Amino acid sequence: MSSSGLGQLKVVTTLPDLESIAKLIGGGQVDVFSIATGFQNPHFVDPKPSYILKLSRADVFVTVGLDLEIGWVPPLLNSARNSRILKGGEGYIDASVNVPLLQVPTSASRAQGDIHIYGNPHYWLDPMNGKIIAGNILEMFVRLDPDHRSIYESNLKKFDETLDAKIKVWTAQMLPFKGTKIIAYHNEWPYFEQRFGLQIVDFLEPKPGIPPTPSQLLKVINEMKRDQIKIIIVSPYFTTESADLVARNTGGKVVTLATSVAADEQIKTYFDLFDYNISQLLQALR
Amino acid sequence: MKLFRIISILFFVLCLVGSDAIAQTDSTAVADSLLLRQLQRSMQQAPSLIQPQLAPRAALSMNPDVSAIGDFRSSYTSLGKRKIETYLNELEFQVASVVDPYARAEFLFSFGKDLNTGELGIELEVATLTSLSLPYQLQLTLGKFKPVFGKVNILHPHYFSFIDFPKVINNYFDSEGMFMEGASVSWLVPNPYDFYQELTFEVGRVGSEPNASLVPGEDNQLLYVGHLKNFFDLSQNSTLEIGFSGLNGPNRLGFSTSVGGIDLTYKWKPLRYNVLKSFTWQSELLFADMRLSDMEIVRTYGGFSLVEYQFERRWFLGARYDFSGFPEDGSRKEQAASLLLRFQPTEFQILALEYQYTNRNYDRNFSQVVLRAIFGIGTHAAHKY
Repeated sequence: MSSSGLGQLKVVTTLPDLESIAKLIGGGQVDVFSIATGFQNPHFVDPKPSYILKLSRADVFVTVGLDLEIGWVPPLLNSARNSRILKGGEGYIDASVNVPLLQVPTSASRAQGDIHIYGNPHYWLDPMNGKIIAGNILEMFVRLDPDHRSIYESNLKKFDETLDAKIKVWTAQMLPFKGTKIIAYHNEWPYFEQRFGLQIVDFLEPKPGIPPTPSQLLKVINEMKRDQIKIIIVSPYFTTESADLVARNTGGKVVTLATSVAADEQIKTYFDLFDYNISQLLQALR
Repeated sequence: MKLFRIISILFFVLCLVGSDAIAQTDSTAVADSLLLRQLQRSMQQAPSLIQPQLAPRAALSMNPDVSAIGDFRSSYTSLGKRKIETYLNELEFQVASVVDPYARAEFLFSFGKDLNTGELGIELEVATLTSLSLPYQLQLTLGKFKPVFGKVNILHPHYFSFIDFPKVINNYFDSEGMFMEGASVSWLVPNPYDFYQELTFEVGRVGSEPNASLVPGEDNQLLYVGHLKNFFDLSQNSTLEIGFSGLNGPNRLGFSTSVGGIDLTYKWKPLRYNVLKSFTWQSELLFADMRLSDMEIVRTYGGFSLVEYQFERRWFLGARYDFSGFPEDGSRKEQAASLLLRFQPTEFQILALEYQYTNRNYDRNFSQVVLRAIFGIGTHAAHKY
């Protein structure tokens, strides 16, 4: 059944969020490895040959999809010599299937910066979408390892129940701040923003993937002063120089939120990711 | 009379079609109105950010990835009558796609100008079929390709950090390295230490253009290339690659040339800020035995060592030292020192300025300054590490 012959499914994921969900669904029946780390920019991961070794032995490959990993997954898969995990193969999971996408462009040009033609790919930052991802992973595990269906289904039930309970807590905690205007460094928070009722009004990047320019920072400073905006959120892989500059000029606060599991030592699971981010935001908002 | 009959029939048909259309319009209008109300309701309920979904999320067409990359250069050379050149060095046009579940294909055409004749030429540089699912960790490539000899020869010029290839590649093969037509088989070697080890064996003929060491040959003597790649993750942030290469093939004098090579690449890139800082140290050493006659073999060697440091998100500084013999003439030698400044606003555009001083024992020394602009459009397949 598994390529290892040891009964465990060998799973390789692109991001640690998918790794965490796969572990929670697969339990002891799966051996999961994530290529990217939690504090790494998922757009730019080096396709090191050592990852090819992992992929060559994998039964399952889970990708965020929507071209988020287009710069590094194709050269890895093309060299992995493993047809099971190629697109269309029996072990290939595009975790974005069935996720209601945001910001699907009606036209696309690189003049707009690094836009994603299938929609914003940072969908795992809405915990409700975590349930869809888990469902996609479950479907694959059951198909490849039907003998352990009951374990996988029971784990999914537990995952969904925990997530539902936590979502209630998180949304209740964020409720008093519904509609709060904030600034973000990069356009990677629309799913989080929508789920928790925030309103991201501008970005430090003038266009996705284009580093902040003085004119953009000035524009943001004016917006923050005019609209009394107090929070700038950045991701762990961006330096805070630009955000600090804007904060100094507006009296705002820079909050580094985790975009993935393992971005901070405290974030060990997909649940911890939101516990951490909500707690960071609440500290800044209060 | 006949005309009147035709007009009557046409009128009758039009009336039938018209009445049907009117009836249809009535029922369609009702359905449209219901649909409109449904849409309005769902739009009121839906969060404002949600966009219509495109399904499926895989490629929406069967078109291959198509890209074009321009390589424009301006240069000043301290020697010669015509010191200033400004030219489009190359336009690279690439088409690549999966063929079926078992293989992928890549075609690469190069449109370039011959600086000596001024003529524009087209060359098919790469045309390959590569397997995706052979058993036993094997991968097979057929067609025309750059053989896996060292680290630089396999690159296309736009992907090499410096503007020109190292002198040893230029002197032993060609300014863009060596091409071959044939078959390449690579194998991921299982090993007890579980590090990445890949063994490649290639056989065929030198691509259409002969080079300084090798020619396609007129008899049954073929070109054989072998490479062993060893890759180690030293830490999360650093890697080391050591490779051994060897080749044997026919030369222009009807005998054979053998070349051996060692390559070493160290890369450092902090995971957290992987787009902001990086450092690369790369060196290659090549040894050549070129048989000129039954009695005479010329033994030469050459190599290079380069460093490149990324000091800002878009800025890179590099330095390179070259030393090289000439495979056919053991007495000639040259050395070069190069400095590079590269600005890379996005992945699709590179501006580079390189200064090079070349010292030769058979001719006058010279300096050269080259400015290069690389610009790409379309979907270009991502490069290997």
